[in-house]
This record gives sequence, structure tokens and C-alpha cells, in this order.
Amino acid sequence: MAVTVIKGGLETTVQDYPGRKGAFGMGFPPSGPIDHWSFRLANVLVGNAPGAAALECTFIGPVLRFERDAVIALTGADMKATLDGEPAPLWESIAINAGQTLALGSAITGARTYIAFAGGIDVAPFLGSRATFVIGACGGLDGAALKEGQTIPLASSDAAPGRRLKEGARPPAPAGGVWEIEVVAGPNDDWIDEAGQRRFLETDWRLSPKSNRVGFRLDGPDWTFTAKATDKAPENGEHPSNVIDHGYPIGAINLCGQTPIILMVDTLTLGGFINPYTVPTCAWWKLGQSRPNETYRFRQVSVAEAQAERRRIAALCTEESLVPDASP
Amino acid sequence: MIYDEPRFLPGGDTFVLVQFGDDARIDLNFMALGLTAALREDRTKGVIDTNPSYNSVVVEYDPDLIGADDLERELRRLIDGLGSVEDLELESRLAYLPVMYNDPWTRACVEDYAQRIAPRDGDPEFVARINGLEDKAQLSRVHSGTEHWVVAVCSTPGLPLMVALDPRCAITSPKYNPPRTWTTLGAIGVGGLSTSIYTTPGPGGYNLIGRTPVPLWDTQASLPAYRDRVVLLDAADRVKFVPVEQDEFAYIERRVAEGTYAFNVTGYQRFSVRQYKAWTASLDTSERF
Repeated sequence: MAVTVIKGGLETTVQDYPGRKGAFGMGFPPSGPIDHWSFRLANVLVGNAPGAAALECTFIGPVLRFERDAVIALTGADMKATLDGEPAPLWESIAINAGQTLALGSAITGARTYIAFAGGIDVAPFLGSRATFVIGACGGLDGAALKEGQTIPLASSDAAPGRRLKEGARPPAPAGGVWEIEVVAGPNDDWIDEAGQRRFLETDWRLSPKSNRVGFRLDGPDWTFTAKATDKAPENGEHPSNVIDHGYPIGAINLCGQTPIILMVDTLTLGGFINPYTVPTCAWWKLGQSRPNETYRFRQVSVAEAQAERRRIAALCTEESLVPDASP
Repeated sequence: MIYDEPRFLPGGDTFVLVQFGDDARIDLNFMALGLTAALREDRTKGVIDTNPSYNSVVVEYDPDLIGADDLERELRRLIDGLGSVEDLELESRLAYLPVMYNDPWTRACVEDYAQRIAPRDGDPEFVARINGLEDKAQLSRVHSGTEHWVVAVCSTPGLPLMVALDPRCAITSPKYNPPRTWTTLGAIGVGGLSTSIYTTPGPGGYNLIGRTPVPLWDTQASLPAYRDRVVLLDAADRVKFVPVEQDEFAYIERRVAEGTYAFNVTGYQRFSVRQYKAWTASLDTSERF
């Protein structure tokens, strides 16, 4: 026995980073955490490898009873976690004794909380990853979100409580419900006319409540197209946003008719709609922490700039970010 | 058209879309699968995965191991090494899949759509009519009269996108608009130039003409075919549909449930694009079956 699920929360899943790689050819997306910055820091705080299996909690967190001593860390959204009724801090490692109950509530800021356990969650990997993929009924605990009565098996480890992060290591707090999200043009930006490209970058897009790990749906103005979208081989389909089925980059802003959907970690891996822009991996943490009806403003960056930001974040997700141990 | 030079289009910081042309001619898929095979063989540093389709391949890479410019150079080198499309020989297996055409389950799914979403006649009748076929019986004959080329396995686990290899058996049809909200598991759908098999009960847009009783993926290894693999088909495999009636369908369903169903899949053969093109060039494509 390790940890018993008293309440599963809204959608709590086991994830690992970078998820299930190398399985596009079988129709499996990567899965994994959306805010992989907070996710990796939770693992670093408990002395795990940054990508070790941990929990992603969405909007409403779980209630967990520990059947043995453990060290955990909570990062990401503030779900007013308590340990036996006492407030449990975010962004530091916490010792938990056998018999204690960790209870998370509703997110008051952000959307996703990550819970890492020292040693990691010890479920069997599937195609090289422990990440839960609900549509594929694989990974994690029985290929699904946590349910009441389940046991989460933990690997053992001797991590220390009280570990904290240096200033600047963690993602900035969301500011006023408005997010500036990096995008890279392409692969299909040349299907959108100049006015449409300008409109995309100037619009305050609203995040639809119909958003999940498959895709983040945006509400905003209609798109306008170049001749490429209208004057094309008939097998591309009728609507300007239709194209012959092609593979989808994860993070692509997929234009389904007039509705843009940011394809996320559990996306369909292929389809017949264009992808004018792509949200690079360095900005996924913002998607993971944004709430329905919040505002997205997109800022175009180059591939090189996006890769530099990715490296900067990866460098923060290491032991270097921990406040040095003050004890002798 | 086939582009003179492949195009390299960025998909964020970790993906690049390599596009060989802008329509659905099968040569473009042969090139995409040729590049996919070459990348697997080459073990190019920093390349994580490939996601091929009709005329393109999405390549996922680790930018800490290879830059975008170096990746493009490596991809060009591999594409140059493929030679002309006629020179390609692809590793391919042939899978025989039972199908009940005009089955009651997909018919019920179409009727549900017609009642709730938009009026619609039976899909097999519709597809037969717009393809100039006599009736749905001829549609079954034509559809099962060819090997179907697996262009990609994608979208949902194990789902094959296929096109008819014999041009005399090609079928085209418009997709649903608006799409269905659910689809019979195992439904055989046709849309555009393609045939697909629904491997999850999710939404869809293809016209439903039949159903297979066999699963195309299995994470639990409950059938012998899935002891060492998760999905039945890979891109560049071929599928031959074997028509069955309802009693045979029920028998196969029972064998699947018992865990004793044995798939009929050949070993790897070499699919020569040159020989394929020579054969199709010799056909009178005004014929149907």
C-alpha cells in the first residue's frame, strides 16, 4: 500500500515528461503534462529526475490518504491544499506521515496542480511511458483518471522535506487573466492572407470552456484566406481550412472551419485542417494554467527564439534551482 | 503537383513538416514513406519521431541535439538518397480483414445521424450512386476487389488511412458536413479518396459502408497478434477486405472475445513502385468489377 485515492478530483492523471515519444506511427500522441515547467519543478523538489511520473490535477484536485511516510511537492495552480486540515505549502518539499490525508480543493489561481512523490509513481510503462492517455486507455492507473478507492503505488526514496526554489525559477504568476502566448508561424501560415495574419496577432482571443488535454478551443473573429486556400486540388476538401490529411505538430493552432483549436498533448495525430501557427513547447505552461474565458494574445517569435526559451526553462528545471541546504 | 524541391515548414520549436507536393497522388505518399524508412534506417541524431501522411511527413526533433538548419540538411541528404519515386521499394505486409458490408450497426449509426443532425439516406446507396455503380452490391464488390494501401496509421490508435491500389476500384465521396458525433466501433468508412476503419467510437466524417468484427489495436495483448505489437497495421502495409455475412461476423466476434482469433497477415514483401506503376499503366481504368 502506498497512497489511497479518497476522491479522484475532476481529472487527475498520472503523467510523465516528455511522455510517450516515438508512437505517432501507431496513432498515439505524446500525452504528458501540459504545464511541463511546473511538473518538472515538482519532481526536482523531491529529488526525482525532472520527468518522473507524477500527478496532473485539473481544476479540482484529489483527496489522498498516505498509507506510508512520503515526501511530496505541490506546484502549479493553488488548490488550497491541506494536510490533515492544516494548509500545505506550494513550491516546496513536504514530509507526510503514514495515515495523513492530503486534500486539494478547487483552483483559485491557475488551472493545474502537479503532485510529485519522492521516488516517483511506480506504475508499469506502456510504449516507454507512464503518461495516461485516456482515449487510448493506456498508461497511468488503468489508462484513466484517478478514481475513488484506487491505490497509487510509489517507488521508495529518501528525499528531504523543506527544499525550496530560488527566486525566478518557477513560472511567473498569471497576470489578470490575460496571457501573452508565443507562436511560431507555420506550417500553413501562407494559407492566411495578410489581413488575417494581422488580425490573428492583434485579437484578444477568448479561451473556450470546451477545452481539454485534446485541444484548447479559442473564440474570436473569422479568418480570411489566400488563394492557396480556395484554389486547390479538389481532394483537399471544400472549406478554405480543409487540406489533404496531414500530420499535426503538437501545439499547432488547427483551424477547423473558422474555429482555431490549439492541439494539445492528447490530440488526434493527423487530420484534414490547416495549422497556420504553432504554440512552441516553451509556452505550453501558460496553456496549462489558463482558465476558461481568459484572454490569449499571441506574440510571434522565430523558431530560434522559441528554442532558446525552451532551453532557458529546461535549465531552470534542475537541482541548480534549489535553495542550497542551510543545514550542516 | 509534385514539388521540384521538397518544402520544409516549421511546426513550432520541435517539429518540421516536409511536404513533397500539394495533392493526393500516391507517389507523394511513397516518397513520404520512403523518407520515414530512411530516417529509421539512418538513426539521424536528434530525430525523435515521424508522422507521415498523403504528401508529407511531420518530423519531430530534439532541438538540443540538432538545429533546424542541420535537420533540414540531413533530411535533404536522405531525400536525395531515395532517388526517383520509381526506385523506391517499401517493406509491406498484406492483412486480410473480414468485413460485413451493409451491416445493421453502421446503418443504425447513420439513421441516428439522420434523425438528430441532418437528413440523410443510407451511406452505401449514396456512395454507390455518386460513383456511377449499379447498387450497393456492386459497391461491396468494387471495394473488396482491390488491395488498399495503408497511407498512414494515425489520428486515433491503430486507425489506418488507406487508398485503393487498383485504380478500377477507386471510390470517391464527400465527407459528412456537419460531422457525426459518434461512430460504430469497427466501422469501415469512405471519404475523399480514402477508406478508414474507426478504432474508437468517436466523431467522424466518412460514409459508413460496412463493419469489421476485429480490433486493430490492443493494449492488453488479449489476442495472439498483439503479444508483440500494439497496433495491427503500419503505414505501407496493405489490406484486403474479405466480405462476410452476419453469421460469420458473429463467429469472428466470439473468437475475438475468447481471445483465440488469429489474424491472417503475410510476412514482409517488397513493394516495388516501378512494378506497381507498370501494372496500373497497363489497365483499362474504365472497367469496374
